[in-house]
Amino acid sequence: MNFLAAGIIMLGAALGAGFGMCYATSKAVDAVARQPEAASKIQTILLLGCALAESTAIYAFVVALILSTAG
Amino acid sequence: MSKTAIIELCISAVVFSACLVGYIAAKKGIGEVEPSKKQKRKKTLFFSGVLISAWFFVGVLITEFSGKEMHLAIHFDMFSERVDVFGISIASTTLIALGVSAVLIVLLVLFRIFVLPKFDADNPKGIQNVLELCVEAVENFTANAVGKKAGASLSPYMFSLAMFMIGCASTEMLGLRAPTSDLTCTFAMGLITFALLNIYGIRKHGFAGRLKSMGGAVPAMRPVMIPLKAVSDIAVPVSLACRLFGNMMGGMLVMELLKGVLGGFASGLPAIAGLYFNLFHPLIQIYIFITLSLTFIDEAME
Repeated sequence: MNFLAAGIIMLGAALGAGFGMCYATSKAVDAVARQPEAASKIQTILLLGCALAESTAIYAFVVALILSTAG
Repeated sequence: MSKTAIIELCISAVVFSACLVGYIAAKKGIGEVEPSKKQKRKKTLFFSGVLISAWFFVGVLITEFSGKEMHLAIHFDMFSERVDVFGISIASTTLIALGVSAVLIVLLVLFRIFVLPKFDADNPKGIQNVLELCVEAVENFTANAVGKKAGASLSPYMFSLAMFMIGCASTEMLGLRAPTSDLTCTFAMGLITFALLNIYGIRKHGFAGRLKSMGGAVPAMRPVMIPLKAVSDIAVPVSLACRLFGNMMGGMLVMELLKGVLGGFASGLPAIAGLYFNLFHPLIQIYIFITLSLTFIDEAME
């Protein structure tokens, strides 16, 4: 049962984080296409945003790990 | 040795020698003239045949002698196994982290004694240029994030943190468990960031000023805002620790799964995947950890 719960957790987390990161990246590509000279600044902000968006998935991953090792 | 293993070994050896002969013949046949597309394709085909049969031969040999079989189940634990050192039970990752810092310190001391006195401030050359480039890049990075004054005192810590984390990540290539894939190590790093952001905030504004800046611009809202901000500040070390731990643990699990699935045939292929999971991924996580730490410190100083 724990493994099923971990799987469902990872499904939701990966979906959410994936959409979030995809949205952020598409906006960043737009911004770089409009202003190529600001590319390095945008890259820093994008990395930060992606890390924050990814962190929800990572929290879910940690919870899934705890669940699947709790036995 | 089982019968099937001997048959497999013979087949792969025959294929290997056939492909090698074919490859040498193809290379000689091309000679000086411009090779046609067909000849090039032949060469590539024979070369991949050589590689694959050699990989298969080695894989069968390793499987025979080590008894490692392909398996999908891996054994892992949230916390690392404990070892006894002179009667005291210590987590193995703690020992590895101590080893990494010992290696770093010894290298630095040797560097200080033997290399640093030879440096010339007026006409730098060789390794001095590389070092100056690194130090300047880190100083610029921190100064951009938290301002010049705080950046000057924070850049040495951030640089040594990055060095420590790179050392930790590279222990994974030796087959040890990286200290950064243990929650205690990453939580300690998060706590250091938490202490730093409070120290820098209080040093800039004073204790009352720090509370005031936590409350925001509207005085009437402060009783509500200060607890909220305090909770989000307390979440900083937890989020930093869980992010780093989850990422490193995820990378380690993927590599373990790959090794488990390949079994005795895990020669060569995990090294290619390791370029991403043991090298590039930790570097990105280190960058993110440092950037986020600096952002939080900057936020506390506003």
